[in-house]
Amino acid sequence: MQQLLNGLFIGSIYALFAVGFALVFGILDRLNLAHPAVFAASAFIGIELVTVGGLPFWAALPAVAVVGALLGLIVERVAFRPLKGRPDAHFAGLISSIAVAGMLIALLQWRYGAETRRFPADAFPATRFDVLGAQVTLLQVVIVAVCLTLVVGLTWLVARSRLGRGMRAVAENPTAARVLGVNVDRVTATTFAISAALGAVAGALFAMNVNSAQLGMGSAIELKGLAVIVVGGMGSLPGALVGGLLLGVSEVFAVQYLGSAWRDLIAFALLFGILLLRPQGLFGGRRARQV
Amino acid sequence: MLTESTVTFIALGAIFAFSFYAVLNAGQLSLGQAGFASVAAYTSVLVAPDPDVVGDVPALLVALAIGMTAGATAAVVLGLPTMHLRGVFLAIATLGFAEAVRIFVLNAEWTGGAQGMSVPKVVTPAIAWIVLAVVAYWFWRSAPTRYGRALEAIREDELAAGAMGIDVGRHRLGAFVTAGAVAGLYGVLWAYTVRLVGPADFGFTAAIDGLVTAMVGGTTVFVGPVLGSTFLTLVPEIQRALGVEAGWIRPFVAGLLLLVVILFLPGGLAGRIPRRLRVPDIAADADSGGADGEHPELRTRVHAPRGDVVVRLTGLSKDYGGVHAVRDVDLEIHSGELLGLIGPNGAGKTTLVNMISGLVPPSWGEASVLGVTAGRTPVHRVAAAGVSRTFQHSKLFGRLSALENVLVGGHLVTRPTLVRRLLWLPSARRDERAALTHAARCLDRVGMLDAATTRANALSYGDQRRLEIARALAADPSLLILDEPAAGMNQVEAGELARLIRSLADDGLAVLLIEHNVGLVRQICDRVVVLDFGEVIASGVPSDVAADPRVVEAYLGTEA
Repeated sequence: MQQLLNGLFIGSIYALFAVGFALVFGILDRLNLAHPAVFAASAFIGIELVTVGGLPFWAALPAVAVVGALLGLIVERVAFRPLKGRPDAHFAGLISSIAVAGMLIALLQWRYGAETRRFPADAFPATRFDVLGAQVTLLQVVIVAVCLTLVVGLTWLVARSRLGRGMRAVAENPTAARVLGVNVDRVTATTFAISAALGAVAGALFAMNVNSAQLGMGSAIELKGLAVIVVGGMGSLPGALVGGLLLGVSEVFAVQYLGSAWRDLIAFALLFGILLLRPQGLFGGRRARQV
Repeated sequence: MLTESTVTFIALGAIFAFSFYAVLNAGQLSLGQAGFASVAAYTSVLVAPDPDVVGDVPALLVALAIGMTAGATAAVVLGLPTMHLRGVFLAIATLGFAEAVRIFVLNAEWTGGAQGMSVPKVVTPAIAWIVLAVVAYWFWRSAPTRYGRALEAIREDELAAGAMGIDVGRHRLGAFVTAGAVAGLYGVLWAYTVRLVGPADFGFTAAIDGLVTAMVGGTTVFVGPVLGSTFLTLVPEIQRALGVEAGWIRPFVAGLLLLVVILFLPGGLAGRIPRRLRVPDIAADADSGGADGEHPELRTRVHAPRGDVVVRLTGLSKDYGGVHAVRDVDLEIHSGELLGLIGPNGAGKTTLVNMISGLVPPSWGEASVLGVTAGRTPVHRVAAAGVSRTFQHSKLFGRLSALENVLVGGHLVTRPTLVRRLLWLPSARRDERAALTHAARCLDRVGMLDAATTRANALSYGDQRRLEIARALAADPSLLILDEPAAGMNQVEAGELARLIRSLADDGLAVLLIEHNVGLVRQICDRVVVLDFGEVIASGVPSDVAADPRVVEAYLGTEA
């Protein structure tokens, strides 16, 4: 039981991170590899806000989300918008987002140095609950609650709101969407901002969960995020949620039964199995090919 | 600044970048090269003889051979199950493979775990550059061959490449295995240069570095990887020479430069190098080599005699989730016949020709086309049987020149020249020239020889349609399918096109023409079939069909 819960805690962070990936891919058909850098940046910024700014940890989350959204806007403006209309936009977008990620990490190194950063010892309340014989801290409850709320809220936003309709229209056909009066540039920028805000919150929560932030934390989760969106179905938001939870739980059980050395292999085993058996992912629809 | 190790690392980086170039040039993104390099490095370090015993160079040669084989084998093993994946899916799957290899190496006993294994230093700058020269030679010589052009065609438009008779799956796997072999070379050289083979050297960061080097250099010209590696290796050296030492500035500037190259130099550093392609003088050639273009260098295709049945459709139907796109069509097309297929929008015309050309399998019924069963035969085999087509929405190879487009169209009638070109055999040169002449003739036939060196995506709409016809003709087909070739043409252009199409049928081809311009169809077709809601509602000579009340109704609606 304890293992299952631990898996769900870490899995919900994976899900929140992957949902940001999936949102951009699903709507804009682009893989944004600067997402993990935003994830790492927000962890450091979250720690600074709590340590230096004196914010309580729950108040740091919305602040980090705002910073993340700004970073997302910058990434879109610098790395993706200039490529619009180029035949190689797909590959070039990967590279330009890698470039921006490298710059972002370099700036983090300048501001915070290369050492691991931590939250102050008294940042989190010590409240613990007993759930079915397993120990759960208040922080872990907050993590799961925040992640689930955000993912469900985002799914609702895309499915129901006016902005979501614009997003789906852009996903279907950007040219037609523009003709119908959708401001494609604004929808694109908003998508990036929301995606990055979610990645930022995931980064801050991740740092709280393990109480540390490192420059390399983004690349560590990057591959897992990719595995999650493939397993869930590229661009599928519920798929990313389920995939994230699935990955978190299987990792925890892998540590228990196979040993911690093989934990990271689980993501790739899942990834491979899904790609071979069901390339469209658990929740992905098959796209028709146009002749 | 140019120390011995810098010079070596430029060569190593370029070799690694070539392993990305190999697949990017064919339009695939793979990130598994670090995994191939890792497999190759560990295998050769364990298996190859000790340099102290057999001497440096023999030991390295054996190690390189082992590494290449190991890398290529790993690519086959990974490629067979994953080759059906496209775009980022392939990238993620291959990345997952590389990461799985890394974790395995990290945890296995015999690999030395995280510490790795120590390796004697054998590689000198000269050796590294010789290997690089060999790799570059391969890509230089293979680019302007039938094989190289087929890879580029797949990059530009996979579907059209298949319709030109290119076996897309085999070519993609070929590119992938080349990438594996080159990555294997890199892995071995790396190990024998840094004196250590450890899992950290073949991680995600390494894969990204290789990809970045290839993209910065450019993925369409073979010097790209060398330029990319020189540039990216020298940037930190120059920074060091300038005294920029602060830890964060170096990665920041590297990222900034990368961004600038990607945004402002599309096609990479080598993207500015013009591609040269000599347009052959077909008038001079006709004098020497027979007026009707009989070339021993080209494969001749046997065409059915005039009047033979080339297509027989029986009860052919296609359902899309309950919608009957095509319903129960029986039809025969004969050699030398120009058959018009008309019908209102959404009548199922394109679906019908997609089934005939093997792109879409029928739900029921059978399409027997030139002796093969379309839909149950891969697209490239249907093309090889003698079917060639144009597409309703132009599917040209956009970044290739008009002449190169037609050269790809001639894939089925030209001979493979890759091996002979690598060996500089004169017959390869003769065959390539014959292919060029053939392509130029086809271009000339549609009146576009003047535009031979223009990139296809820079042509006007009407010219693109004519180029598609030339490309389809280059395959020397028995059945030519034209999907709305006159769309978007003005009266004069359409008139010229009509004469061209008629002349093709008079040469003995079976031509299936889909067209909205009913006037044009009436003017040139021998027979007309009218499709409405997926069913044949009329067929016969044009004048009878035009008078058929059901046809008038389908086009104009009933009189109230």
